[in-house]
Amino acid sequence: MKRFIEHNELARDSRFVRQDNAQATVLASLPDDVDTVVSVFEKFTPMIEASVRGTAAEPLFDEYGPGFALTVLNEPLDPDSPASLTRLLLRMHGIFAGELQALEGAARSLWDFPDAPWEFKMNMARQCWDEGRHVQIFEKLLTHLGGQPGMFPESTFLFECACSDDPAMRVAGVNRGLEGLACDVFRDMIRYAEKTDDETMRQAVDYVLADELTHVRFGSEWVREFTKDDPEHFERAQEFRREVDKRFSFGGARSDREDAAIPIAWEDRKEAGFTEDELSELVALSSGGPSKKTLIAAARILREQHKAKQDEKAEGANS
Amino acid sequence: MSEQRLYPGMRPEDKTHFAPYSAFDIPADLRELHGRYDVEATARRVRNFRYAEEWMMMILGGWVATIPELPVKTGLGKIIYECSLTADALGKRLPELRCGRQAITASESANQGFADFIRAVSEPETPDLTIEKLSGVFDVLKPHLVDVYERTLRETDQICDAPTIELLDDAVRRTRRHITWGQEVLDRLCDTDALRERRRLRIETLRKQLGDCGGVTGTLEADRGSLN
Repeated sequence: MKRFIEHNELARDSRFVRQDNAQATVLASLPDDVDTVVSVFEKFTPMIEASVRGTAAEPLFDEYGPGFALTVLNEPLDPDSPASLTRLLLRMHGIFAGELQALEGAARSLWDFPDAPWEFKMNMARQCWDEGRHVQIFEKLLTHLGGQPGMFPESTFLFECACSDDPAMRVAGVNRGLEGLACDVFRDMIRYAEKTDDETMRQAVDYVLADELTHVRFGSEWVREFTKDDPEHFERAQEFRREVDKRFSFGGARSDREDAAIPIAWEDRKEAGFTEDELSELVALSSGGPSKKTLIAAARILREQHKAKQDEKAEGANS
Repeated sequence: MSEQRLYPGMRPEDKTHFAPYSAFDIPADLRELHGRYDVEATARRVRNFRYAEEWMMMILGGWVATIPELPVKTGLGKIIYECSLTADALGKRLPELRCGRQAITASESANQGFADFIRAVSEPETPDLTIEKLSGVFDVLKPHLVDVYERTLRETDQICDAPTIELLDDAVRRTRRHITWGQEVLDRLCDTDALRERRRLRIETLRKQLGDCGGVTGTLEADRGSLN
C-alpha cells in the first residue's frame, strides 16, 4: 500500500456525489465586490449544476440558481426561515462529510507516518475511534432530521487542504485548523438545537464538541513536538494552519463579523488551548471576503439571471 | 508432641497465635511454578506480538480511506484504537521483563518471513478489494493471534508471568470481538459464489505463507510439536 493519497482517491459508495473543489477554493478568496462575485458564479454555473443534479440540492439550484450556496453558507441558521430544514440538512450533511474525511485523515496519519513517535500514533488511533463515532452520530442526526448520506454533493476540500505530507503541517491543518472550525460550527449547532428544543441534537453535538477539544489539544502538542528546536519549521506549520483557517472561513461566513453565519467559539477554543494571540489572528484573517450585503446582492442578481434563462428556455420549448 | 522450636533469645509468647497457611491455601490455588518460557523468551514473544498489533493498527488505518463501505470505515475506527491499546500494553510489559526503560515501543518481527507476511496482508489497496483487505486481517491474522495468545496464556508460568497473562487475556477478549465483527462483515459482503471464492483464495494463500514462516513467533511448528 502506498504512502500518501490524493483527495480524489477517497472511496465512497454509490450514494455519494463528488463536488468539484475548485468552487470552494474560489469562494474562500472572493473580494467584497458584487460584480466579481456574480461573474465568478456565472463561470461556475455548469460545474455547480452538474454537481447538484440528482441530489437534494437540485431544487435549491432550480429555485435560486448557481448562487444558492451564497445564501446557505452566509445566513445564520434560523428555524423560522422558509427553507430552514433544507439548509439545516445541508449543513448537517457537510459536517457528516467533514467527519468522514477527518476519520480518513487521522487513519491515514497512521500509515503515512510509520516512524512517528508511539504517543502520536496512540493519539491518532484514538482519534480514529472518535471520528468513526462522529460519522455514526451525524448519520443518525441526518436520519433524525429526515435526511440521509449522499443527499447533497460532497466536497473533499477538507482532505485536500489539510492532509499535508509533513506531519507537523497535517496536525496543524487538521487538528488545529479544521477541528477548531468544528468547535465554531458545533457551538452554533448547539445554539440552534436549544432554540428548537431538540434535546437529541443538542446532547449529541455537545458530546462531539467535547471530543473536538481533545483533538485540538493533540494538534497543539504535536505541532510543538514535531517542530521542537526548529523555529522555521514551526512558523511554516503555523502558516499552513493560517491558510487552512482562511480557506475555511468561507469568505467571512465563519468569522467574528456581526453578519457571520458561524461565529468563532472563543470560549471553546480557549479551553482547547488556542491562545488569545492566535484567536485575534483568526478574527483578523477570517474577517476579509465579501460582506453579507454584497453576497445577498450577488445572490439576487444570480437568481434573476437564472429565472430569465429558465423563462427563455420555456418560451423556446413552447414556440 | 515435641517441644516447640524457638530461635535463641525468643520466648514462646513472642510468636503469634495465627494458624499457618501456604500462600495458596485460601482459596485453594492449584497453579504450579514453572512455565514453558523464561524471562527472555517471554520478552521476545511480547515484542513479536507488539509487532503484529502495531502493524495491524497502521494497515487498518491506511485502508479506512480506500474502503467504500461506510460501516466498515466507521467500524475499523474502534478496532484501530483497540489494536493500539494492545500494542501499548505489550510495550509497557517489556521494561518489566528486563528490556530496559526505552523498550516500551520495541516491536520485532520473529523473522523475515513474518515481516513478508505482514507486507502481503497490507498489499490490497484499491476500493474494489475490501474482501481481500478484511479477510487477511479477520480470517487469518487475528484468529492466528488468538490461538498463539491463548497458547501462551496456558503455557507460561502462571504465577511468575501473571502480568503477561492479564494483558493477553484482555487482548484475546478484544480480538475475539474484532473477529466476530470482521467475519460478519465478510459474510455479508461475500454474497455470491464468486465473492466467496475470492475470500477462500485469500485465506488459503495467506494461511500458507503464515504457516511457512512459523507464525507471529516463528515457532508454530515447534509449538505444535509440544502440544502433541
